[in-house]
Amino acid sequence: MKRIGILLAASFLWATTVLADPPPGYPFVGFDAGLKAARASGKPIFLYFGRYGCGWCDHTNKQTFSDASLKKLYTKNYVLVYVDAESGKRLTLPSGERITEAELGVRLQAFATPLFVYLTPQGDRIVQIPGFKTVQDFRDYDRFVRDGHYKQKSLLEFLGDKS
Amino acid sequence: MRAAALLLALLAWPAQAAWEWSAPLTVNSVRGAAIFPHLESANRRGVAVSGDTVAVVWEDNRDGSPQCYLATKPAAAAAFQPEIRLSQGDCYEPVVAALGEGRFVAAWEEAGRAHARVLPGGAVLKLSDAEAAQVTLAVAGERMYAAWAEQAGRFRRIVVARLALEGDALSMKTRRPVEAKKPSDEQGWPALAAKGDGSVTVAWEDRRNHHTVPMVSYSRDGRRFARPARLTDQASGGVDGLGAGTGAMRPTLAAWGEKGIAAAWLDKRDFLSGYDVYAALDGGTRRFGKNIRVQDSFGDNMVQWHATVVGDASGRLLALWDDARDGTPDVWLSEWDGKAFGDDVAVPAASGPGAQSDPAAALDAAGSLHVVWLDRDEAAGTRIRYARAVWR
Repeated sequence: MKRIGILLAASFLWATTVLADPPPGYPFVGFDAGLKAARASGKPIFLYFGRYGCGWCDHTNKQTFSDASLKKLYTKNYVLVYVDAESGKRLTLPSGERITEAELGVRLQAFATPLFVYLTPQGDRIVQIPGFKTVQDFRDYDRFVRDGHYKQKSLLEFLGDKS
Repeated sequence: MRAAALLLALLAWPAQAAWEWSAPLTVNSVRGAAIFPHLESANRRGVAVSGDTVAVVWEDNRDGSPQCYLATKPAAAAAFQPEIRLSQGDCYEPVVAALGEGRFVAAWEEAGRAHARVLPGGAVLKLSDAEAAQVTLAVAGERMYAAWAEQAGRFRRIVVARLALEGDALSMKTRRPVEAKKPSDEQGWPALAAKGDGSVTVAWEDRRNHHTVPMVSYSRDGRRFARPARLTDQASGGVDGLGAGTGAMRPTLAAWGEKGIAAAWLDKRDFLSGYDVYAALDGGTRRFGKNIRVQDSFGDNMVQWHATVVGDASGRLLALWDDARDGTPDVWLSEWDGKAFGDDVAVPAASGPGAQSDPAAALDAAGSLHVVWLDRDEAAGTRIRYARAVWR
């Protein structure tokens, strides 16, 4: 009984320390590892630009990334990369420039978190989308990226065609 | 009659004083599309003025790995002397502080440890035994302090050291964590401000409240530190059970006036406009007052980056940062007028077409302002630029 109590306390502690980190259960990796994996696998990159303690990231994790089918779709088809908007952790851009995770926000001109960025396997930006999004939104973005619509039209044009 | 009165009034109008800028100079002697200089450092201390000499430090990868460099010039010289390399192994986020009479102390992270060296001459002193990063420096009179973020268990914590100088020999007199207990979450990016009485104020990013909060502490002698306080007056806590609080990062400090300390940082309390520059002032009571928004309304809906604050003993206080309100990143400054930060002014050589960003600044003993920044050009390579301004 005491052991269960300790486990419960530990899990509560864990839950309180992972607020607005990447959604649980997803195989998110750091930027450099993700770029390497994407180049090797040919999969596009789904970059989650979050912030420690960010309420809208927390909301997106709970409302959207908790969906089992979305988790399966993104885990299977993307290299998942998480970057912390305020971190001093270092990463290397495809150009070879070494910057911090926070500095990536400068380069993306990130206004708000969460910011979702889709990248080619070589690390070139396809599209970036800020703010809370639904499961259906992420399904639409997936088709825009993996079906190659981005080569012919903007995301807004694609979404307009869809409706 | 009315026209004559107007003319007289115009003639009697006092000439408005302003910063008068020198022509900008390029600091780094090696450029290239695949060479990436960086001015990032804890407390953004990339430039210092000692006696009649200006020193600039930065990191770039010209030698195939990140290395730290220092370039100097006599204030009146038309060019910087070729830079010297400070490091042997991978080096990041160097800082420099003035010791007087043309001497400097530089510090940097190399091979995962904090190091310092007096220049010219001087041997390298390893400051940290444990893994460390984001080192910074502050000097006031005879007192010299360094601070860095050092691994302590799972997370990094802030350590402050009092340094001493005998001839060219740098030594460490004390080395203390701001808090004795192990950190419960990450701490980093320390900023220091030292005063002539030997006291030191230290600010840093702190995640103990499950979001990033700039915190501050104070010590009379570098041995014992006051209990940390928040720099930001925004309370921690989520909204509707979501998140843990708004974001704020990269605090910077400057000694200001006879007794004062000024702080500035990037603050996302208005989350729809990205980071804004906020400041807080301590007039000498060792308590920071309410937070003050620095940038003017023209920067409201624009994200600000790379904020820094500089001050001097006369009471002059300025904040600098970059933002892209005019379409591309430019360097802006705002000066404290005793009641508020004034209108934002673009640094002339660090604005206009192209991307100018990442300012670092220093005020010299005569009150002149020395600014360095990055001037990005993807094809030709990034230049580190320097300009001096005199208040006239």
